Amino acid sequence: MKKIKIKELIEKIEGEAELDFTIEDGRIEDVKINFGFYRGIEEILQGRDAWDALVITPRVCGICNHAHLIAAVRAIEDGYQNAGINLLLSEKAKKIRSFTLACELIQNHMKWFYMTIVPQLEAYLQIDNRQNHALKATYLSSTVTKALAIFAGQWPHSSYAIPGGVSCDPTHLDLMQAEALIDECIRFVEQVLIGMDMAQYLDISSVSQLHEVGGDLGRLMHLIGSSGMATLGQSYDRFIVFGESLLSSSGKSIATAVSKVDPRYVQESAQDESMAKAVTYKKRLYETGPLARGMVAKRPIIKSLHKRYKDALLTRIFARMHEVSLLLTESKRLLRELDLNEPSCTLDIDTRCADFEGTGIVEAARGSLIHQTEVSGGLIHRYEIITPTQWNLSHGSGDEHGIAVEAMIGSKSIQEATFIFRTFDVCSVCTTQ
Amino acid sequence: MGQVQHSKPKLLWLQSITCNGNTHSFLNHPDIFSVFSGFEVVHHPVLESEYTFHDLAALKIPCDILILEGSFIEKGLTKNGVEVSKMITHYGNEASHIITAGTCATFGGIFKQKDPEQISGFCFDIEQQTERYEKFASKLISLPGCPIHPRWLAYVLMMLSQGKKIAIDRLHRPVELYGYTVHTGCTRNEYFEWKVDTKGYGLKEGCLFYEQGCQGPYTRGSCNKILWNDTSSKTRIGTPCFGCTEPQYPKDRLFVTRTNMGIPATMPLGIPRRAYLTLTGVVKSFKIKRFSQRLLEYDQ
Repeated sequence: MKKIKIKELIEKIEGEAELDFTIEDGRIEDVKINFGFYRGIEEILQGRDAWDALVITPRVCGICNHAHLIAAVRAIEDGYQNAGINLLLSEKAKKIRSFTLACELIQNHMKWFYMTIVPQLEAYLQIDNRQNHALKATYLSSTVTKALAIFAGQWPHSSYAIPGGVSCDPTHLDLMQAEALIDECIRFVEQVLIGMDMAQYLDISSVSQLHEVGGDLGRLMHLIGSSGMATLGQSYDRFIVFGESLLSSSGKSIATAVSKVDPRYVQESAQDESMAKAVTYKKRLYETGPLARGMVAKRPIIKSLHKRYKDALLTRIFARMHEVSLLLTESKRLLRELDLNEPSCTLDIDTRCADFEGTGIVEAARGSLIHQTEVSGGLIHRYEIITPTQWNLSHGSGDEHGIAVEAMIGSKSIQEATFIFRTFDVCSVCTTQ
Repeated sequence: MGQVQHSKPKLLWLQSITCNGNTHSFLNHPDIFSVFSGFEVVHHPVLESEYTFHDLAALKIPCDILILEGSFIEKGLTKNGVEVSKMITHYGNEASHIITAGTCATFGGIFKQKDPEQISGFCFDIEQQTERYEKFASKLISLPGCPIHPRWLAYVLMMLSQGKKIAIDRLHRPVELYGYTVHTGCTRNEYFEWKVDTKGYGLKEGCLFYEQGCQGPYTRGSCNKILWNDTSSKTRIGTPCFGCTEPQYPKDRLFVTRTNMGIPATMPLGIPRRAYLTLTGVVKSFKIKRFSQRLLEYDQ
């Protein structure tokens, strides 16, 4: 049979990627994913003061910069602990960090849904809809980042998380303003995204109840179902989560069996023709991100969807958008639970550690993000960043295709394949750093 | 009633070596679509726009206002097989105004650190004019910041769409935005005046200039006048200003104040060292009780 090769540039994905498709018999047979420019953040950090990572690493990515900050501060804290400095973070500091990180995830998911998934699906299905979906994305994302900025000063590119806690010292006035903003987000999600009461929505535990979901999410699920796309985009059904978060513990899930993970078995390797490095766990590829978190946490509605559709695009899309309601509910709880009498930061201003090695792990919007820092004489000797998209978007290793590649193989058109590609919430800048 | 249709200026947002932070910062502007409505947005990195990236790379898009995001490199950054520098030069020639959005596009910024010889801002390499300066200077507006402040960019775009002239300084920064320092409007100003440094991290009391590396008093920008996310700023929540709008950004040891004999090595903008030392000597001879206490206490 004749093989055709087609190169396709994918844009509006936090940069661009080039996909080289091999098509045989009208089906996608293979895909090479190529990301562009290597910016060298890890090299830039070499020789700099250990704390400078708190400022430099957020600049890996304009959309998940806060996750990089949290990973960077955890790497330093882990290093300080390893060097014998006891850093016992206050509950207040931990909760504020969880809150701001949740805000960033919500911002990210809403932009992905309204600026990527909805318009791309409408274009693919040739639905003429002249709504400005991006207006919904920016309304919600600018509201939730405002709540984030109450504690972090700004978004993007805050450096408010410092070893031992956070730099802010909030008042009840701040908490009330933040809660009003979260309430506004909840109202928006109820009225526009899910078309129902959030508590009732979060009670849904089985696919058979999903018809109750209205709003733009309900409409999208219906469009995917009625166009026969629900089962497309399946990969290896293997998931991994390294970070502990509001959403799940760490662990891996193969089909439905969940077991423990140890970050020491993560391996990075260079790939030909791409600036992005591939990542494996014990030499196997895993999907990371919201679907992985849902599977490892054994969340009933995700398990139910998975039972019917496996790791197909419908499950993947729903898992991501489901996190918005989970995170908003958790954010509100965190604000209510904050005890302002606790210290914001437990590190003494004069305590600095000059020689250490540490690892920081965080659950970012797209999955597990790992920072490793090696510091000697107060200066960074080696810094390593492993981003979630490196897990999902590599070419593959050994005999296996990459996670997203496997999901695209068998597609009957390039448009279908690129839609599947986008369900992974592709981030070009994070992948090549 | 046939109203005369004035065609709107064509706005093209082009990315070079970047993290997309400026794009996402501007998406925080609550009235972003109203600001954009004064223009025909021909290309944007994430928003739906009239032309595709193919058209952009083929140099086929009309362009009146070019927004540049990211550091500049002559060779080695290609998209769709075309050197990005070639796209920048082409659309820069077409445009009547060029806005360098962010410190990377303006001075080189963080990504310059990877290869300082080859990577720079578009018309400035730190403070030095690049070879492109002369050609593009007449239409250049610099908006440094890591990232840009959404309201600063909106101001420039609205001024341009109304055909108003923007007053700029020698580095082409609008004086209405960069005539202030980040220190202006900081909620810790009383502590600065009375030279009271903060006693630790995570406190609303105390100034960050003496120990924690704050560059606010000598960094140009209106961060504490036009707040971030319409809400706050770094210094207000206890993070030092890292000088991210300045040509030399990022300096080294961002959380540490360099000192000479216990006095900050870099003086507040335009203040002679002697004047600073005189004032410091006077205020430090007083102990103001209010500044040694917490601003407010909750019932324990």
